[in-house]
Amino acid sequence: MDFLNYLQRDSDRLLELSLQHLSVVLVALAAGTAIAVVLGIVVARRPRLRSVAIGSTGLVLTVPSFAMYALLVPLLGLGRTSVIVALVLYSLLPIVRNTVTGLLGVDPAVVESAKGVGMGPMRRLLRIELPLAWPVVLAGIRVSAVLLVGIAALGAIVRGPGLGELLFAGLRTIGSPNAVNLALAGTLLVVVIAVVLDVCFLALRRVTTSKGLR
Amino acid sequence: MSAPAGPSMISLEQLTKSYPGQVEAAVQSLDLEVPEGEIVVLVGPSGCGKTTTMKMINRIIEPTSGVIRLQGEDVTHSPADQLRRRMGYVIQQIGLFPHLTIEDNVAVVPRLLKWSGDRTRARVDELLDLVGMDPSVYRSRYPKELSGGQRQRIGVARALAADPPVMLMDEPFGAVDPIAREKLQNEFLRLQEELRKTIVFVTHDIDEAIKMGDRIAVLREHSVVAQYDTPERILSDPADAFVAEFIGAGASLKRLGLARVRDYPYADWPVAAISDGPQAALAALDRSDETSLLLLDDQRRPLRWVQRQDLQAAGASLDRAGMAVRAMVEPTATLAGALDAMVSSRTGGVVVVDGRGGFLGTVDMGVIMKAAEDMRAAAQDSARSGGPLMRAASGT
Ligand SMILES: Nc1ncnc2c1ncn2[C@@H]1O[C@H](COP(=O)(O)OP(=O)(O)OP(=O)(O)O)[C@@H](O)[C@H]1O
Ligand SMILES: [Mg+2]
Repeated sequence: MDFLNYLQRDSDRLLELSLQHLSVVLVALAAGTAIAVVLGIVVARRPRLRSVAIGSTGLVLTVPSFAMYALLVPLLGLGRTSVIVALVLYSLLPIVRNTVTGLLGVDPAVVESAKGVGMGPMRRLLRIELPLAWPVVLAGIRVSAVLLVGIAALGAIVRGPGLGELLFAGLRTIGSPNAVNLALAGTLLVVVIAVVLDVCFLALRRVTTSKGLR
Repeated sequence: MSAPAGPSMISLEQLTKSYPGQVEAAVQSLDLEVPEGEIVVLVGPSGCGKTTTMKMINRIIEPTSGVIRLQGEDVTHSPADQLRRRMGYVIQQIGLFPHLTIEDNVAVVPRLLKWSGDRTRARVDELLDLVGMDPSVYRSRYPKELSGGQRQRIGVARALAADPPVMLMDEPFGAVDPIAREKLQNEFLRLQEELRKTIVFVTHDIDEAIKMGDRIAVLREHSVVAQYDTPERILSDPADAFVAEFIGAGASLKRLGLARVRDYPYADWPVAAISDGPQAALAALDRSDETSLLLLDDQRRPLRWVQRQDLQAAGASLDRAGMAVRAMVEPTATLAGALDAMVSSRTGGVVVVDGRGGFLGTVDMGVIMKAAEDMRAAAQDSARSGGPLMRAASGT
């Protein structure tokens, strides 16, 4: 089989590209989560700001990667930085939205009794509201993670790292016998990474959610 | 006069709350003194402002104007979180923290107050015992693994954790079925006998108010006090038609629920020991005006009612004469309980026995009728002389 031979022959490079891909996604996801959770906390109980935040992060998701990079590259140059910034922007909506949903879903009676025992706003947020909203927040992060794995492949158009390189190489050499192998390997690995991340998040959810909430 | 009030633990002075966007105040210029160590019940129709009033005391709701004093100290503007740690807070929805174990739920306030781990752990166990839940079984459970009644107990335990002098309770037993509620009420009253907390207790159920309250504030719209008085006096002498209507029918019956058998003289009844034989029993019956006699065993425990013809027909032994005693109560039973026993056993009287079952006396219909009459007369007298707590419908 040609394809299997190809995988074997290029396994070192495929592994390296996969790890690059994963690393870009994880870095962007971490930054995106930090920004989006804070944003979600800030806007959750402010209806006006809330629609602005969800509206604008939603708008970002509709911007095609091409357009995004056309705007970012003049500022940040070609390569990894532009890709990461783009991915951070793309990751925001699901996490902001779920943080808001999660926080608003906390039983008001629980918040009131947290007040009643004398917890201040910060303590209430960190000890009661966020832990209770956490499963929902995490679900948002998981959606973003899978989303980013796909979008990250397009980073190759600005010479970003990762599996996109294979796909673009395939496109450039279309018609050649190797083109299909490149495209197939790129696609397969993107899917594998997405599935692996997804499973990791399921495990993370088990580990980080209180037994009282399951 | 009703029982004199002790020093005030909580004083509300001209307390007012207007919610934004509403023309009329939810609570309008309320004055209320809550005496130390008593249960004060706020009762009134839905929407009259009970919850708003209570939540202003721990400033979950900030008053629009007026003053709140705790042990004389003006706490209207003091830091709310510190204030709340001095007041236990129990609400109908309970609001246990679902992601924390029972132990962690109960330990919340002690930890906020930075108690040591050992002291906190010991306190948690003590409280679980206090509310009748075995610590070794329940300590590490989560709220969702408890029944409604158990959650309510934990809610009370959490509120008591740092031994606050004041408890605020908003329909605390509202979410459980009537049987469980009755049980929780009784347990709580027993607890309060020991703890002597100052408690503000909100309910819309007049029967619960009568049962739980040392004092009851009957509120009308805008939290205006219609009557603030002891349960006895509210029942016997409602300040106005609003209070009377709120109490509803059966005030006399409710009043009997407040009086204890031991507080009234027992009726004298002829008795005889069964071992003394029919002749002695007949002699005892002859000495009295009654038509029946109560036979006791050697430990003076009531056995059977007998009438003259039973004794005459009995021959030498009394072992089978007469009718078994069915209605027996202890001195701590209420007159309502005695009446109930009387009615359900279809006899005209109940036998009062001590803890070991020994005969003390009897209570008959006459005693109950007289008690009801006395209570009404006494309450009316004291109402006319005007207690210090009479503050009916002031100001409006
Ligand atoms: N957050 C709020 N915003 C505006 N109005 C409110 C708010 N909370 C209560 N009210 C109004 O204030 C009045 C008093 O409400 P409150 O909850 O104190 O009544 P309550 O006596 O506890 O009634 P219930 O027996 O039904 O619990 C009601 O008319 C209610 O509609
Ligand atoms: Mg209420």
